[in-house]
Amino acid sequence: MSAIIEIKNVSKEFKVLNRREGLKGSLKDLFSRDYKTVKAVDNISMSIQQGEIVGYLGPNGAGKSTTIKMMTGVLEPTSGEILVGGNIPYQNRTKNAQEIGVVFGQRSQLWWALPLVESFKILKDIYQIPNEKYEGILKLYRSLVDIDPLLHKPVRQMSLGQRTLSDILAAFLHDPKIVFLDEPTIGLDVAMKSRIRTLIHALNKERNTTVILTTHDMGDVDALCKRIVIIDKGKMLYDNDIDHLKSFFGSYRTLKIRIDGELKEQATLIQKELPQFSVSANDEWISVLVDEEKAKVIEVLGKLQHSYNVKDMQLEEISTEDVIKKIYEEGVQ
Amino acid sequence: MKRKGLRFYAKIYCKILAQDLKSKMSYRADFIISTIGMIFTNIAGFISFWILFRNFPSINGWGYYEMLFLYGFSLVSLTPVQCFFDNNWSLRQHVYTGDFIKYCFRPINTFFYYQSEIFDIKGLGQLAFGLITLIYSWIKIGLGFTPLMLLKMIVFLITASLIMIALQNAAAATCFWIQNSFYVLDLAYRFRDYAKYPITIFSPVFRFIFTFLMPIAFIAYYPSLVILRPDKVPLLSWLSPIIGIAFFWLSYKIWMHGAKNYSGTGS
Repeated sequence: MSAIIEIKNVSKEFKVLNRREGLKGSLKDLFSRDYKTVKAVDNISMSIQQGEIVGYLGPNGAGKSTTIKMMTGVLEPTSGEILVGGNIPYQNRTKNAQEIGVVFGQRSQLWWALPLVESFKILKDIYQIPNEKYEGILKLYRSLVDIDPLLHKPVRQMSLGQRTLSDILAAFLHDPKIVFLDEPTIGLDVAMKSRIRTLIHALNKERNTTVILTTHDMGDVDALCKRIVIIDKGKMLYDNDIDHLKSFFGSYRTLKIRIDGELKEQATLIQKELPQFSVSANDEWISVLVDEEKAKVIEVLGKLQHSYNVKDMQLEEISTEDVIKKIYEEGVQ
Repeated sequence: MKRKGLRFYAKIYCKILAQDLKSKMSYRADFIISTIGMIFTNIAGFISFWILFRNFPSINGWGYYEMLFLYGFSLVSLTPVQCFFDNNWSLRQHVYTGDFIKYCFRPINTFFYYQSEIFDIKGLGQLAFGLITLIYSWIKIGLGFTPLMLLKMIVFLITASLIMIALQNAAAATCFWIQNSFYVLDLAYRFRDYAKYPITIFSPVFRFIFTFLMPIAFIAYYPSLVILRPDKVPLLSWLSPIIGIAFFWLSYKIWMHGAKNYSGTGS
């Protein structure tokens, strides 16, 4: 099996003007040539096989979008090599565009005023999709989602969920080898999220399309990705199976307790008492992420019970979300 | 994959256009109001022109009907830029918000894809007004008619359109480099008002600017000379088709250069 995406030692630098503060500073900036170089992506390498679904994760500003833009040919890497389906994306932007599909969660790429089916017909011409192939994919779509109510609705009258669904269908229409999905479930309700995940999963299975998924929703990752890549501050932190990731932090468990009083305030107090663990609170629970190598959960619970009136408790294995959070905070040891 | 030639693009453009018109007409009130608005804009423009020329029977040797001819000529030559390139006005917004990035992912020419998205139907009314004015003044001046004249007319109308399109492309493309490009675009748009007057009425400094820096004199004045004053056509008039093509090509290159260097905003 050969790699569909090959990235070798890729870096991307941006020149940014050093800005000064205040009005006087702004005036000076007008004439300043004081640039600093910011590395948005720093020496990243990875190789992705045909048919994989890869979760590409990282906090905001980590360099995810920059990497995607380089893979789609919008940006040229400062150094290193990128091959997407055998093409150098930046040099063959048009040719590369024929082989890929792109969806941005909040930005529809469809014609705003046109009904979905007319958008599809124009895309059919743009990508020069043969008739029988086009009919085939429409048939596939019909079997996966209920598209008939959508087909004759102008995109601007659609709900966000319907629009995202339509955008994903449009991105897969020309049977691309790779589809880039940038936060496809952002802002959607639970039911729609699940529909979209099922659809992506089915399309990946049916067409063996490689999917690169960036998201902040760990539900997406759990439902779709076997492999995840994590970057932060431009550097690659992790590239491996998702199960492997959990075993990294196998000794962690989340202890949830319910006590009297304002939970947020109590959580700060508990945090002071347990400085070695991270404590957080939501409306119902106070969560303590316990590293069992440092202290047993039972001991922690005993300690808490001593000073607080614990009314209820739950114990959870570490979730992907917590693992990712820990990696963002501390990195992989 | 087949090569994407002119036929490929023409086919796609027609498809988008047909769909766009269909969807525009489905919003009936919107369609009627914008049509009425367009008619009134043209009537108002014509009335101010008429008032001006009631008071001055001629400007620098240019009579009423000759001026009317220039006016009609500029209206017709401004139609293509109004109809086909109106999306240039939104370019700034698309670039600023980062939406422009969506135009970079299709396997077709970015400039074409961007401009094809909007067809401004209001331009057609302007075309009708322009043609009526042009034919009326043509008859009143008593220019006569030969096929050669018609050919000249068509060539020079196309030339004038190209120059106006070039001007707008270049002005719109400045948004790839500067944030407040609206003023540049607006300036280019306002300057075209001066295209309606014979360039000889301006001072030598402006004559130079309008000929070589902002070539609006080529929108109506230099081309019209070929029809109106066939005995004393300056060399610049005959050169204007070449200048038009050159300017258009240059503006296209600037636009594409900006689009290629566009890197979007964070998401």
